[in-house]
Amino acid sequence: MVDAAALSVIGPDGDAGGHECGLSDDQLLHCYRAMLRTRVFDEICMKLQRSGRVGFSVPNLGIEGMQVGAASALEKTDWVFPSYRDFGMALYHGVTPLRMMHNMFGNGLDSAKGRQMSVHFSFEEPIHFFSISSPIGTHIPQAVGAARAFQARGEDHVCLASFGDGGTSSLGFHSGLNFAGVWKAPVVFLCQNNGWAISCPSSGQTASESFAIKAAAYGMPGVKVDGNDLLAVREVVGEAVGRARAGEGPTLVEAVTFRMGGHSSSDDPTRYVPAEELEAWGERDPIDRFEKYLAQRGLWSEGDEEHVREDALAEIDAAAKEAGAQAPPGLETIFSDVYETLPDHLRAQGEAVFDLSRRKGEAAAGGGEFPL
Amino acid sequence: MAIEFKLPDVGEGVAEGEVVQWLVGAGDAVEEHQSVVEVMTDKATVEIPSPATGVITALHAEAGDVVEVGGVLFTLETADAPAVAGAASSTETAAQAAGGTGSGAVLTPTPPPKPVGAKALATPSARRVARELDIELSEVAGTGRNGVIRRCDVEAAHGAGGASTVGAHASTMDVPTGAGGETRVPFRGVRRKISEAMVRSRDSAVHFTVVEEVDVTELVALRERAKAVGAEQGVKVTYMPFIMKAVAKALERFPQLNGRLDEQAGEIVRCHYVNLGIATDTDTGLLVPVIEGVERKGVLALAGELAQLAQSARTGRISPERLKGSTFSITNAGNIGGIHATPIINHPDIAILGVHRIMKRPGVVEGPEGDRIEVRQYMNFSTSVDHRLADGADGVRFLVALKELLECPGLLAL
Ligand SMILES: Cc1ncc(C[n+]2csc(CCOP(=O)(O)OP(=O)(O)O)c2C)c(N)n1
Ligand SMILES: [Mg+2]
Repeated sequence: MVDAAALSVIGPDGDAGGHECGLSDDQLLHCYRAMLRTRVFDEICMKLQRSGRVGFSVPNLGIEGMQVGAASALEKTDWVFPSYRDFGMALYHGVTPLRMMHNMFGNGLDSAKGRQMSVHFSFEEPIHFFSISSPIGTHIPQAVGAARAFQARGEDHVCLASFGDGGTSSLGFHSGLNFAGVWKAPVVFLCQNNGWAISCPSSGQTASESFAIKAAAYGMPGVKVDGNDLLAVREVVGEAVGRARAGEGPTLVEAVTFRMGGHSSSDDPTRYVPAEELEAWGERDPIDRFEKYLAQRGLWSEGDEEHVREDALAEIDAAAKEAGAQAPPGLETIFSDVYETLPDHLRAQGEAVFDLSRRKGEAAAGGGEFPL
Repeated sequence: MAIEFKLPDVGEGVAEGEVVQWLVGAGDAVEEHQSVVEVMTDKATVEIPSPATGVITALHAEAGDVVEVGGVLFTLETADAPAVAGAASSTETAAQAAGGTGSGAVLTPTPPPKPVGAKALATPSARRVARELDIELSEVAGTGRNGVIRRCDVEAAHGAGGASTVGAHASTMDVPTGAGGETRVPFRGVRRKISEAMVRSRDSAVHFTVVEEVDVTELVALRERAKAVGAEQGVKVTYMPFIMKAVAKALERFPQLNGRLDEQAGEIVRCHYVNLGIATDTDTGLLVPVIEGVERKGVLALAGELAQLAQSARTGRISPERLKGSTFSITNAGNIGGIHATPIINHPDIAILGVHRIMKRPGVVEGPEGDRIEVRQYMNFSTSVDHRLADGADGVRFLVALKELLECPGLLAL
């Protein structure tokens, strides 16, 4: 199952064979914390969902190394076009759990003003984290378009488009990769092959011998990398980012990993994921592996994990409480951000709604009863 | 405070879940996020965690029970009060965040006039019950999301206060009962349908009501003769068929009152036929069967249909088909009493006519020799129009036209 064609850096015992990753000790520890914080954030979101406090969540257990490795190869001026599992990339770049929780609760402080589903984050800083699309693959051409724009303007920003193995069957994958190749756009395609698209195994997704090989059809390099190896992902994505920034065009990276949780909070993976596979991949946990690597470098010792976990739990729990107590977005936000000058018919609708809310009270969640 | 934990929708659109097993017992202390119960839905079997740290005081279902989403699973007693919407300490404000990018809010609501202190968040039914029970909402602790006050919170507060009046809304908790005892009637079936229809009408239509006095002395005489003619044919003739004819005629002149609102299409439908809903007092409650094509039918034919309707209403055999499609309705309280009323429009009609009791009174009659006092018969009529769809003036003009026709019923033949 361990794919011999996929590049690895950190061995099972944590030995990286003298690999130069270009990260300082502090940066390595930041990567470690980002992975663990991502895991804890995920755990708490699932608890919030199960206890009815947020509507939806998407587990990302097992792919923290890939997210953090890829994110660490980007500059703050670059643009992430993420998939719904990629919130680890936002956490790595310094988005606070509180801002993310505002989205989970869809409250008045949510950057999307409650218009998106939970876990569909969007941030303008500290890194451009493009609003997550639920429809599979639609953000791939968007990333290419943005990259093409940077190219036209002579700006050296790079776009990272991240999607799943299932995403390669979308129309956006073809049109996006095709024109990225034609234009030599500064974009990196990160295909997270996590074995599944909901209950469809990745073997049911393509007749090609790999996902990486599809790059040949679009005239770009394709590389396969061990997705549970933070340093390997950083290495491969970093090289692709370098090529993109240097004007040498796009790259397709296939990161091989495994979805250790359910597809989403609505899924029951025990119905279709073989237990042996889960067990085998459990042995290759990206966080365990990175701990061993850090330990070899004298940066980690027993007990560190508990520490980071406890801090993360306290911070993220507090963020959830604060976000959960925020008021929902104001009624007027229904009418903002689409038109510069509001057309008359919408203005009239708005006034009617405000009038109704003045007379009957604001619509509020609760017991399924809406005053409006 | 006590939290009644309700089974959430743990999938997308899950309706119910079966309790597989409890992982804690009543009386156990639990931490926030600690798994409490395993529930199997049609999507997945999931562990439900506790939403807060506290003590589980009651389990409301047993293993094997199926609980609907929204049904109470367990009660949790926590030490602290729940977070209340808007109470956050964040330095950023929602308004700042909402400003965000772009041109910002281009439309801003004027803030609702607030009573002293912030308005309590409450569901509409909670507000209504609070009003009825004369309970100050700001003094009720809400158990809904974000501290929203729900109806049961108000009722609980009422029970705790030990108020002496027992309203129809008292629920299952202990409330002192008056010495004479009480009877509970299930709020369902026709009663519930009537309730829904009334609420729908009240919540959508803006009622404007006008009342007019009509001298029906001539109509009374005419009806006496018609009664005799009807008797020969075995038809009982009341005042209603005359009123229906007059309504159909008056609606010809005021078509803006004859029809309905098609909310989905965003159109007011004006009908070129007159289907009259006749509000009928039956044993089970108010029904509004419809008589179609009134503009085409004669008084005797209408009288026949009305008699037949009355019969079906008494035996409870009015088919649901007959309860639909009115373009205007008439409600008759005249045979019971009252001098006027404020009729509630039969949703989605535009208007309704209320018919009231005939009374003999001295009246001023103008004659060639001047005014004289006579014993006359008077009848009040009221009309409610939905002021969204027509204007008050339309209602008044319609009523005046109706008055002309009924004061001089010979005009109905024109
Ligand atoms: C266009 C479109 N088709 C179907 C879906 C439903 N859907 C949501 S996620 C998903 C699977 C995607 O699998 P993959 O791309 O491998 O990503 P993963 O969830 O494994 O990270 C599907 C089919 C969708 N959101 N959009
Ligand atoms: Mg996948």
